[in-house]
Amino acid sequence: MTIYVLCFALFLVGLYGLLTKRDLIKIILSSGIMGYSCNLMLVLFGYRRGALYPILEKGKEAAPMVDPLPQALVLTSIVIELGVTALLAALAIRLFQKYRTYDITKIRRLSG
Amino acid sequence: MTDKPAGMTLIIKTVSRLIVGLIFLYGIYIILHGHLSPGGGFGGGVVLALGLLAILLAYGREETQKWLRIRLLKDLEHASPLLFLGVGLLGMATGSAFLANVLSKGRLFALLSSGTILPLNVIIGLKVGLSLFLVVLAMAEFDIRKGADE
Repeated sequence: MTIYVLCFALFLVGLYGLLTKRDLIKIILSSGIMGYSCNLMLVLFGYRRGALYPILEKGKEAAPMVDPLPQALVLTSIVIELGVTALLAALAIRLFQKYRTYDITKIRRLSG
Repeated sequence: MTDKPAGMTLIIKTVSRLIVGLIFLYGIYIILHGHLSPGGGFGGGVVLALGLLAILLAYGREETQKWLRIRLLKDLEHASPLLFLGVGLLGMATGSAFLANVLSKGRLFALLSSGTILPLNVIIGLKVGLSLFLVVLAMAEFDIRKGADE
């Protein structure tokens, strides 16, 4: 149970950064931390104490293995997160071109 | 801007030039052993992309574009899904399902023991590595000074 609580604490670290930081790069990093904590939680759902990774190797007995399904899911999730991070970084670069700053309190010309 | 040469210092350039071959070797190893050990097309492709990014960060964009043929890399990146589709349709052509195995399965735990998984891993590694590199290169091609006068 403790590990799930720690995962949630990591998620809250990302949420704190997302809500309180003013720098766009730090906001992007915070959203990344939130995604990583979700991935970690999904992988931990399939974890068994003392089990092997789910690959058969030469000279190794068949033994209890961790669940490979959440790992496959998380692999997809990592790819999507990469795309989202690249999109956010591209948007941040465009904003820097327009406003010459990454401070979100100074980016306020949008209201007209 | 000053007129100093692009990229980082001589130390970083030399070290990255020496180490990038080892990074590529490790990535190719992970891709080729994807069916035997942890890793595979995705992880190995990421390692390949990091090798290319070391060059990009150390030498700057213009040097990298001179050293690599970006057009060729873009064409390869665009062609790799078609290659994947071709391998999949090869399984259909032999009368069974999409992505069915057409190659010999070999001995267990040998390098060539996975049928069509090995070529599929190579294709995925190509796609992942090149698209990761090209995403960062596209960001490096943003001219940060343009568009400010508004």
